[in-house]
Amino acid sequence: MSIFHMSRREKALARIAPITEKSATDRRTRIAVLRAKRSKTMATAFAHQQTFDKAVVAIVQTIPVSTEVAEWFRNEKLIPKSKRRWRKVARNPAVISVALATAVIIGVMTLNVMERLTDFPGSAMARKMLTLAASTRGTELDRVETQAGALADLFFMKYRLEHYDVPQEFADIKTAGARVFDDDEGRRVAQISVPEKRMQFFLFPVDRNPKDGKPREFSGWRYLEHEGWAGVVKVQSGVCFMAAMKGEEKDLAPYVAQAK
Amino acid sequence: MTGDAMKAQEAFQATVREAALQAGRGEPPQDRLWFFRDARGRCLQLGEEGIQAEAATLEECEVSAHAAKQIAQLDAEHLAIWISAAPDPQRSALAAYYLDEFTPREMMALLEVKCGELSDLICSGRRQFQSWLDATTPHYDDE
Repeated sequence: MSIFHMSRREKALARIAPITEKSATDRRTRIAVLRAKRSKTMATAFAHQQTFDKAVVAIVQTIPVSTEVAEWFRNEKLIPKSKRRWRKVARNPAVISVALATAVIIGVMTLNVMERLTDFPGSAMARKMLTLAASTRGTELDRVETQAGALADLFFMKYRLEHYDVPQEFADIKTAGARVFDDDEGRRVAQISVPEKRMQFFLFPVDRNPKDGKPREFSGWRYLEHEGWAGVVKVQSGVCFMAAMKGEEKDLAPYVAQAK
Repeated sequence: MTGDAMKAQEAFQATVREAALQAGRGEPPQDRLWFFRDARGRCLQLGEEGIQAEAATLEECEVSAHAAKQIAQLDAEHLAIWISAAPDPQRSALAAYYLDEFTPREMMALLEVKCGELSDLICSGRRQFQSWLDATTPHYDDE
């Protein structure tokens, strides 16, 4: 199909196109006029139409305007200046682009702020562990069936990990497996799998202040959510404990509330 | 619109006075279309009071290449009489179109018609006017 093919609406618009060019003419009409001028079937008729219309307008313009009416329009501000309508402004492609870009920037900033609001020392490491939890299979861990609280002795005796204690809120929960590994920054991480609600526990060293090397601790429990998993974190004696499960913060809340 | 300069002047002066009154009350007309809408209403009202043109189907023919020469032989009065004899809304459509003041969108808003309808009214008016021109001021080629 030719790019100058005219739809029925375009033909209709060409037949009522402004006789002299006007800045307010909309884009559709301008396109219709352009296509009518280049159309093999319509170009001649359109040229005749334009000549006809211009001849009629020439006569119309000879009609005198009464002096009284002319005086009114000269002296009185009767016709308000046309304001740019907000709809017209909103449809401008430049305005749409700017609005979209602004929306994206605001979205990214909001996301960053929201993340910062929930941040706490060790939250970056905790997020990594949630990603790991999502991809861990039970067979990757050594089989250890005992109470979670009892594993602190195992970690100390076997791996020389001090204060890798499971908090009392989760200490009585039966475990299925455990392992200790080094993360990509060489930190020793203990991972425990629990059959109850397919939870996983993680113990890892808390972040340290780069200036004085002191552990950056915080009080109480902190929640975080990442990739469909929820975690609840506590720091004790320089070690972070995190209980993780697939779900939301509300699924973990009863365990923490129980201890209170 | 009226085919009579005095009547048209009377109608438009009444419109301007009404606009001035509204402006005086602190409620000026919303836009320039208000003037033409109001004047159109007044012209139609005046037209109903006078002698009515008989409803008849006019012949139509294609707009010709020499139409401009035929039109040049007319004066404004002939044109006004011809347009004012057309039935409304064709009369209003032709009057608004040949004022050459409005965009198609404004004309559609002013006359409250759709694009296709407005196009048919103008197109048919043009063809009828050409037919009338051929009957009243025939053009003969120089050759």
